Amino acid sequence: MRADRLARLQAQLVADDLSGAVLLHGPHVTYATGHVPEAVDASHATFKRAVAIVPAEGTPRLHVHGDAGEVDCEIAGPLWPELDDDADALQTSIGELLGAGRGRRIAVDSVTGAMARARIFGDATLSDASRVLGPIRLHKTDDEIACIERSQFETEAAMEDARNACRPGATRSEIAGVFLAGMRKQGATHNEIDPIFQVMPRHRNGGPRTANGDVAFPTGIENSTFATGDLVWVDAGHAFEGYASDYGRTWIVGREPNDQERSCFDRWSTIMEALTDVVQPGATLGDVGRAAVAANNGKRPWLAHFYVAHGVGLESAEMPMVGSDLGEEFDSGYELAPGMILVLEPIVWDEGIASFRAEEIVTVTDDGCRVLSSHPGYAPFDR
Amino acid sequence: MTTLITARRDRVLAAMADRDIDVLVLGRQDDANYATGMHRLWTAGTRPFGAGCVVVRSTGRTHVLSGWDAGLPETMTWDDLYPSTWNPRVMSGYLSAIPGLTDARRIGVDEVSPSFERAAARLAAGAEIVPADDLMASVRRHKLPAEIELIRAACATAWRAAQALSADGASDATVVAALGQAGATIPSSAPILHTDGGVTTFDIGIILNGYEGGCSGTVGETTELPALVDACRAGADHRSLAHAAGETGWLIRGLGMGFERPVIDSAHGKNETLSEGMVVSVSDGRTRNIVAVTDAAPDVLSARPKD
Repeated sequence: MRADRLARLQAQLVADDLSGAVLLHGPHVTYATGHVPEAVDASHATFKRAVAIVPAEGTPRLHVHGDAGEVDCEIAGPLWPELDDDADALQTSIGELLGAGRGRRIAVDSVTGAMARARIFGDATLSDASRVLGPIRLHKTDDEIACIERSQFETEAAMEDARNACRPGATRSEIAGVFLAGMRKQGATHNEIDPIFQVMPRHRNGGPRTANGDVAFPTGIENSTFATGDLVWVDAGHAFEGYASDYGRTWIVGREPNDQERSCFDRWSTIMEALTDVVQPGATLGDVGRAAVAANNGKRPWLAHFYVAHGVGLESAEMPMVGSDLGEEFDSGYELAPGMILVLEPIVWDEGIASFRAEEIVTVTDDGCRVLSSHPGYAPFDR
Repeated sequence: MTTLITARRDRVLAAMADRDIDVLVLGRQDDANYATGMHRLWTAGTRPFGAGCVVVRSTGRTHVLSGWDAGLPETMTWDDLYPSTWNPRVMSGYLSAIPGLTDARRIGVDEVSPSFERAAARLAAGAEIVPADDLMASVRRHKLPAEIELIRAACATAWRAAQALSADGASDATVVAALGQAGATIPSSAPILHTDGGVTTFDIGIILNGYEGGCSGTVGETTELPALVDACRAGADHRSLAHAAGETGWLIRGLGMGFERPVIDSAHGKNETLSEGMVVSVSDGRTRNIVAVTDAAPDVLSARPKD
C-alpha cells in the first residue's frame, strides 16, 4: 500500500512538472510515507506535526516526533514548523531534497508563520498540494479499501456496547466513553471526531436556528441526559492505518420505535436500496442524487448543508460528494469509477413526527458496488 | 464566561491595533475559540487552512463559520455567522459580505495555504497577507485569572480518570470510560500508561470547556515534584531551566486552549524567559506537571485533588 501510494504521488508530481512536495497535513503525510500521526487535539497535532518532503523522484524524507511506525522513507529528527527556531533547519532539509536553485516548483499544503517569516521557499513557485493529492486519493487500492473495512467493523462492534448503554438517565459523554472504551479494547486508538449522540427535535424549528431552515446536525456541543422516547442521531468515526470509518444510525431511547418511527426506517431502507442499485462505474453523481430523490417521492432525502453521499479515506469527508452545493451541473459531469468510496447517508424526515438517518459505506466495484460493513443491523428498528 | 470571552476578544483587537492589522483570518480552532468563544464540533488532527473565523478591527466584530446558532456565545449575534459550504465561489461571497474585509490593507493569518493566498488577493485587492500566528501566541501567552481556574478544573477532571485506575486494572479503555463519566470526551494528547513490575505510571491530557488539563503520576503512590517544576518561576530563563532539568528529554511548553508557546527544551527557546501569568506543562522526562508561573513557588494546577 505504501509503495503504491508513493508511486502514484510521485507520478503526479512528475505529470504536474513539480520539483516535489512539502507536506504538513496529517493525511497527506500518511499518504506519502505511511506515518500515521496520533489522533489528538489539533493544537498538539499542529505543534508536533510530522513533515514529509517528497521529491518527484527518489526517496522522501520524514521529520517525525516520536515513533515513525512502518514507513517507506528516510526518517529524520523532529522539526517544529511552528517555531522560528527550526525554520533554517526546515529550509536546509527542503533544499537537500528538492534543490535550492532557481525555478523550483513546489507543492505545499500549509505555510506556517515561521516558514513565511523566514521565507524558506525563496523564489520557488508554490502550488497547493491538496490539488496534487486530491485526484490520486479518489481511487482507492484494495489495501486502502481493506483498511476502511476494518475500521468500519471495529466501529460497528464498539457501537453495540454504546447502544446498550444508551438508556434513560445516561449522558452523551458517558455513552461516548463506553464507545471509546470499546474501541480501545479492540486496540483502536485513532478516534477522529468527538462522538455524536444528538437528541433530534421532531420539528425542524425545534432545534437551533439555522441559515438554511433545515435541522442543525451535527452540532457536537451538547451533553444531553437521555430520556425515554428521545430520537438520537448517532455519528462517529475512527481510523485504522489512518483510514476512517463512518458510522451513522438512529436510536430510540428506552422504548421500541412506534409505527410512525418505523415507517421512516422502512422508507430509508427503500432509498438505500435504490442508492446501492445505482452506484456503479459510469454512473454520474447526478444519477446517484436523482435516484435518491426518486425513491423519496421527489424530495431530497438529505440536509441542505450536506450531501446524500460523500467519499471517505484518509479523511472522514472527501470527494466525491453527491448533492452538495457544488451543484447539479458539477454532479452530472462527474463519473464514478472502480475504487471510489461513497458513504451513503440518506435521511427520511417526517416533519413534526419522526426521522431516520443511517449511513452505509460502499466501494465501487467493476460492475456495481459492495457494502463495507459487518452488517450489525439497524436495532431497534429492524426485527 | 461572557466576561472572559470579551476580555480575550479585546486583547486580540488591541494586539491587532499594535501590529496595524485590519483583519485576522484564523484557521486554527483554538485561535478561533480564543477570539470568539464559539463552541464547535471537535475533530482530531491537523486540518487544512480555511477561513474558520474572521476578526475585524474597524468594527470590533468576530465572525465564525457556522450554519447554526448552537454554541453561539452571548458576545456574538446571529449576523456574525457565515454558513459552511463546499463551494469556493459561495465561500468567497460569504467572506466578501463581512463588513471591513474587502477594504482591508493588512490581513493577518495564523497559517496559510497557496490557495487561500490567491483567494485573499481577489477578496481584498492589494491587501498584504502577513503571518499573525505570533500575534495570537503573544496574546495567549499570559493567562487571565479565569483561564487559570478553567485549566485547574480540567486537571481535576483528568484526575477523576486517574483515580479509576488501580494497579491491577490499568488500561486506556478504563481511562476513556472514566473520562466520559466525568464529562470529558476530547483528548489533548493520547493517554499514556506504562506497567512495569506491578508499577503503573500514567499521563492523561484532556480538553474541557475549551481549556487543556492533565495529570501524571504513579498509580497508588504520591509522586514528588521534580526540581524542574520548582524552577518554573518568573525570571527563569533557558539556562536556569536546563540546569534544573539536568538531562535531555525535558520539555516545557505553554498550555492553555491546547498546546501553546513557548516551547523550551534542550534545543529550543534559548531566548525565552518565564513570567508571571504563564501556564506551562513541565515534563522532566519521567512525570509531567502543569503549573502557573508566579513570582514565588509555582502554582501546581495539576496537583492531585484532596480526596
